[in-house]
Amino acid sequence: MMAKKIPDISALNSDWIHSEFFQMVPYMVAVVDKDYNIVEANANFEDFFGEWKNKKCYAVYKKQDKPCENCPSFKIFKDGQPRVIDSVVVDKEGRQAHNVVHSVPLHNPDDKSVEFIIEMSSAVTETNRLQQEVSVLFDRVPCYITVIDSDYRIVRANEKFRESFGDVLGQYCYKVYKRRNKKCPNCPAAKTFKDGKNHESEQSGIGKKGQSINYIVSTSPLKRGGGDIAHVIEISTDVTKLKVLEKDIIDAERLAAVGQTVAGLAHSIKNILMGLEGGKYMIGLGLKKDDRDLIDRGSEMLDRNFNKTTSLVRDFLSFSKGRLPELKMTDPNKLATEIIDLYKDIAGQSGIELKSKLSPKIKKAPLDADAIHTCLTNLVSNAIDACQMGKQKGTEVVVSVRDEKNTLIFEVTDNGAGMDYDIKKKIFTTFFTTKGGKGTGLGLLTSRKLVQEHGGRIVVKSQKNKGSLFRLEFPRQRLNYIYKESRKNGDEENN
Amino acid sequence: MGKATKILIIEDEPDVSLYLQTILETEGYKTEVCNTATDGIDRVEEFKPDLVSLDIMMPHETGMSFYVKLKKSRKHARIPVIIISGAVQQKEFCFEDFVPDKSVPPPESYMEKPIDIDLFLQTVKKLLKTASGTKVKGA
Repeated sequence: MMAKKIPDISALNSDWIHSEFFQMVPYMVAVVDKDYNIVEANANFEDFFGEWKNKKCYAVYKKQDKPCENCPSFKIFKDGQPRVIDSVVVDKEGRQAHNVVHSVPLHNPDDKSVEFIIEMSSAVTETNRLQQEVSVLFDRVPCYITVIDSDYRIVRANEKFRESFGDVLGQYCYKVYKRRNKKCPNCPAAKTFKDGKNHESEQSGIGKKGQSINYIVSTSPLKRGGGDIAHVIEISTDVTKLKVLEKDIIDAERLAAVGQTVAGLAHSIKNILMGLEGGKYMIGLGLKKDDRDLIDRGSEMLDRNFNKTTSLVRDFLSFSKGRLPELKMTDPNKLATEIIDLYKDIAGQSGIELKSKLSPKIKKAPLDADAIHTCLTNLVSNAIDACQMGKQKGTEVVVSVRDEKNTLIFEVTDNGAGMDYDIKKKIFTTFFTTKGGKGTGLGLLTSRKLVQEHGGRIVVKSQKNKGSLFRLEFPRQRLNYIYKESRKNGDEENN
Repeated sequence: MGKATKILIIEDEPDVSLYLQTILETEGYKTEVCNTATDGIDRVEEFKPDLVSLDIMMPHETGMSFYVKLKKSRKHARIPVIIISGAVQQKEFCFEDFVPDKSVPPPESYMEKPIDIDLFLQTVKKLLKTASGTKVKGA
């Protein structure tokens, strides 16, 4: 409708110009003649630029006293072609602003010459600012961002990505990230293209200088007009430094465990030496005094301490197997079931119920089955002892297996004697035992060492006279990392 | 016959306490054994020892925890203590590592397991003499 009326505008006081539409249109509209005079403008225009009557367009738009270089209106008067331009203007307060200006010629109905130009401006200052912000954010956010098309070609990459991987527009993402010639298995972008959902995975790639880069990539769909997934955006966080730190922490934990073990061992040996010295002293004294009883007691003391030496050395040897865990994909339920079978009768004889709580759908995990078997054996044996020491009736020990936030968990709980704060503090620090001559104090220390070698940890909760909970936590990401490392080391050794 | 000098042995390893008991009783001291630090103060109250031989690493409560209680007690603070432990070498023993509280004085003696009997007996004798200011009965 508007197109039909525009040619009738030759008389500037036409109905259309002064219509409500002219005033209400969400643009700043002005009509300019060949001499750059603004001959009409709407209220939006006046609100933004201020007084315009009897003023030249350049004075109003730019607050300057001569026509602009490359004046688009001048060109339109010449060639009659409409134009759209980005223009920096000055508002009535003297502030610079960005406008997009659509300029359309109004022809003289008689000779078809361009008589006026109607200019419709919209302010895009805020849009420009946002665009600039997005652009800086895209480039400088401390993540790698790439947009890939359905052929897995990189169509956009941020500055951070280009710094690490080079200028790679148009190349295949698998070639750039991993120097591969075909798509990666378990590609999260492929999953996003398939199901339109976000996916995340941990990956390692090769940078432009050949450096190894570990990153966690998250993929999201970019839909074309709300329909097909035309592109996938990949946002990756570089975790290379974290990986190094994680390895350092695992190493430090291993070293700390060794240090504590050696100190504890020295303490145990000194006590044994003291017992041996005692036996020798009593035999000597018995001989001197011709006291048969003293000689016998001394001899028994020697025997006891020789036996202690034997069991300490045996336990220590099993503890000190200084090696990386031999990880194999293992069913965690199977391990727990084996322990239950092993201890069911022993527990039953003391009136203790041994139960299991398994997760039938739990995924296999890279574990050293022997090591975890040892840990669970120690924990279940301790739990049974705790039940025997406790005064409660109807005692039970529960072994459970589950996954929680990508962490594999084995848990041994009992409602036996429990521990107070002081004992809890000490259970991992020395060759500590509450079992008198029965224990060497190595069981939990060994368990902790084995769990740490898997990148895991032991959590203990206990309340005196109520029971204890020992939880072995194995973050699956750490297990996978150690698994990869051990396989890499194995390959190197084989080479 | 006069009252024998009494020594309380706080030690959780039965063979170690039996050894110390035999050494000390052979020398004429009266001894008692307490195998936990937790019961230590009660045994001091009952037995009223002239000296305490104390182990550090024991279940439930450490020897140092007993030691702090003893030395903070107005009644028993003057009882000399020989700490006998395998936890730290004699030359590396630093009391502040165990008890940062500066108001607690260090022990009268520290000996590393296994002990030198002669040195142990000499130390016992010397500490008792210093504590009582008189010739020690039974030594």
